[in-house]
Amino acid sequence: MNEKILNKSQISKLFETLNKDYNFFAPSKEKGNIIFKKINDSKEIELDYLNSKIPPKEVVFPRIDIIFEYKINGKDIEIVNSKNLEVKNIIFGIRPCDAYSFYLFENFFQFGKFKDELYLKKRRGSLLIGIGCNNPRNTCFCTSVNGHPFKKEHLDILLVDLGEKYLVEPITEKGKDLILNLEWLSDATKNDIKKAKDLSKKAELTISTKMDFKDTFKNLDSNFNSLLWKEISESCLGCGTCAYLCPTCTCFDVIDENDHYNNRGRRIRIWDTCQFCLYTLETSGHNPRDAKIQRCRNRIMHKFCYYPKNYNLIGCVGCGRCIQFCPVNNDLRLIIEKVNKIKKEKEKEEMILSV
Amino acid sequence: MKRTSDIEIENQTIEKSIKEMAKNLFRNKEVDIILGYSAGTIPMASPPIIIRNESDVEKLVWNNFCSINLAKNLLELMPKSFDDKKNNLKIGIVAKGCVGRALIHLAIENQIELKNIKILGIDCNGIINRKKIEKEIGDREIIEVSLSNENILIKGKGFEQTFSYDEYLNELCKKCKVKSPPTSPELNGICSGKCEEVLSIEDDFKDISDYELKSYEERWEHIKNLLNNCIRCYACREACPMCYCHLCFVDQNKPLWFGKTTELSEIILFHLIRAMHLAGRCVACGACTSVCPMGIDLNLITRKLEQIVKERFNFTSGLNIVDLPPMVTQKMSDKEDFMIDEK
Amino acid sequence: MNLTETKSGQEEKNLEKEWEPKIIAFLCNWCSYAGADLAGVSRIQYPPSIRVVRVPCSGRINPFFIIKSLVDGWDGVVVSGCHPGDCHYISGNLVARRRFAILKDLLTFFGIESDRVHFMWASAAAGERFANLIKKITKIIKELGPNKKFQKNW
Repeated sequence: MNEKILNKSQISKLFETLNKDYNFFAPSKEKGNIIFKKINDSKEIELDYLNSKIPPKEVVFPRIDIIFEYKINGKDIEIVNSKNLEVKNIIFGIRPCDAYSFYLFENFFQFGKFKDELYLKKRRGSLLIGIGCNNPRNTCFCTSVNGHPFKKEHLDILLVDLGEKYLVEPITEKGKDLILNLEWLSDATKNDIKKAKDLSKKAELTISTKMDFKDTFKNLDSNFNSLLWKEISESCLGCGTCAYLCPTCTCFDVIDENDHYNNRGRRIRIWDTCQFCLYTLETSGHNPRDAKIQRCRNRIMHKFCYYPKNYNLIGCVGCGRCIQFCPVNNDLRLIIEKVNKIKKEKEKEEMILSV
Repeated sequence: MKRTSDIEIENQTIEKSIKEMAKNLFRNKEVDIILGYSAGTIPMASPPIIIRNESDVEKLVWNNFCSINLAKNLLELMPKSFDDKKNNLKIGIVAKGCVGRALIHLAIENQIELKNIKILGIDCNGIINRKKIEKEIGDREIIEVSLSNENILIKGKGFEQTFSYDEYLNELCKKCKVKSPPTSPELNGICSGKCEEVLSIEDDFKDISDYELKSYEERWEHIKNLLNNCIRCYACREACPMCYCHLCFVDQNKPLWFGKTTELSEIILFHLIRAMHLAGRCVACGACTSVCPMGIDLNLITRKLEQIVKERFNFTSGLNIVDLPPMVTQKMSDKEDFMIDEK
Repeated sequence: MNLTETKSGQEEKNLEKEWEPKIIAFLCNWCSYAGADLAGVSRIQYPPSIRVVRVPCSGRINPFFIIKSLVDGWDGVVVSGCHPGDCHYISGNLVARRRFAILKDLLTFFGIESDRVHFMWASAAAGERFANLIKKITKIIKELGPNKKFQKNW
């Protein structure tokens, strides 16, 4: 039996032990928002949370990522500080939906013959210690996209909150090795394991949002110019909040920053979003997505039509952040409902005509 | 200000008046569409909605979470060129005081044509500071929000909490002096419902003078703490009715004013320049604060802008359609106290 | 306008030991630039701290120029134009005056030392006035010290 027990009072000991060899990332409260950040003191760890505001993708895909720096000496350019990408991270307290998003990233960052070393090295060096969701929110819908509040598949270690203690279950080889090095963890009893299983079933039943994606791909594929998009994008601000807080959104921009007074500069990669009007602006001045309707439509198409087309997966993990934080309450659940209904109305028409 | 009636009853009265006005306008064919607020799918949210016929009027609501400034949505419906078919669209808009001010100011700046617009004026009773409540609750889930007497009752999964209405209003709403849309003789016939003629606003700006007791270092620290977790998502810019430039200064690259990262100098630069562009134009609606995903409260900067234009130029934006904003006029008699001289 | 040529050797040695502020000066072409030129031609001494940028009118100044200069690391910014009523373009300086008022108030509000940014009027015949004002401004900025608020993490 591999399962161990970690008492909540032992969290600081866990941090002290792991902090020696790893960068320890955990949820922490900053200005009222829960975010994943590098912990320097175990008091900063905040484990009374449902999910973080900014998804943990920030650890392996930072908002500002320096690709290289350069110095200008007369006519020569010297590229310095090629990023040291060998990192050892532990992301503690990640939820199973966000861990699934890391799996979706793999498709994006190593599709075709170009492998994105900047991301992949950071990902390979990161170990995911997840905590199962005992209390999914009303806006969570991981079970509708092949997920589960206690899904183990993309984690290295899964923790289950049993009240005063966590049940620790290693899943991958990396996870097992880590647990072996923590010999001070006590063994789990059969009761602990049963309690965890009960919590898992209870959490699954708590999920109230159920979305049906059976017909979504087909409807999106054949209704690109439908008037429905006008209705859906009416209240959208085009602010980019949904994309910035989405764990699966990977779009980025590469810009150069120049310090011409000191003859140096750097090339950095920053988050970008298809909701900005500049996103598809071409050098000629033409912009294929000039109108807000097109940009609003693009996000839904990308997640629920192009992603299934390219990778046979739905590009959504069901975390519910876009529903929770959209400033105008443009609810994804209503959008998908409206999209699903397009086909059914057509069917009805055909039936009436046939009779 | 002591409340004289139950907030929930006030809200119901206002909602009833909105629906009545809307029905009348549709019946008399005075509008083609009406912009208003609708019920949200999650607690503490009231998204904007476009009503296209009389039967949908029941979808209109009024509550203390109607924080979006509908003038921005109206701007998007305005014709881009004068031959556009939209030129004949008659639009009704549910307007609280700040929305009315925004409409007047946009009319002065030639962005909207007031002759095709009908204002459904209401006497706004304040917008609740959703982000402040969420900070207090922490990361727990809120299921139900209700109002009674002077309190906001929050019910969640396994907890209940009460907040004082007067304390948890938006900071700008606490100091609001224009609760219903301003009107003037030139705007006869445009406003139905509650409108008031406002000649000027009396405000002692005590909150600003209290802030300015701090030293330079303290002010810098305060501003840094306020703005340092901005993620440059530009939700504030998208929600603001006054930010309608086709190419915003942050998106310009000929010349490239500054970069796109979230370094402190860039964040301060963005907010400072945006404040400069809004001097004499901001209507203090608080939409920028309510849409910010990181919970940044821009009310301090907004209030300072109001104070500057009031004290230097005796101007408040959006009160009537005659007075020109201070940044498009100039006088020989302007004060020069900030300039350096040999003495 | 090469100022170092007018300095004596003794003063140059003194300057090397102390920190000298770098101030960027936006001078309007018709009045202030001519006034600075007159100061140079008349051999009037003033600190070599300013670097001049000539603009057609003080109304050309975009508040960006001033704020970007501070962010880039300049220790001070001076904007100089024609006296009100004397603008070559009639009212350019009046437009500028309103902008500067708001900018200065906002900078003070943000806690950025507003004494780093100065606005002045200087006419084409006022070479000595120009030099005196630059001396005064340099002294003020020297007391404030180098501008470190906006340093980027390179």
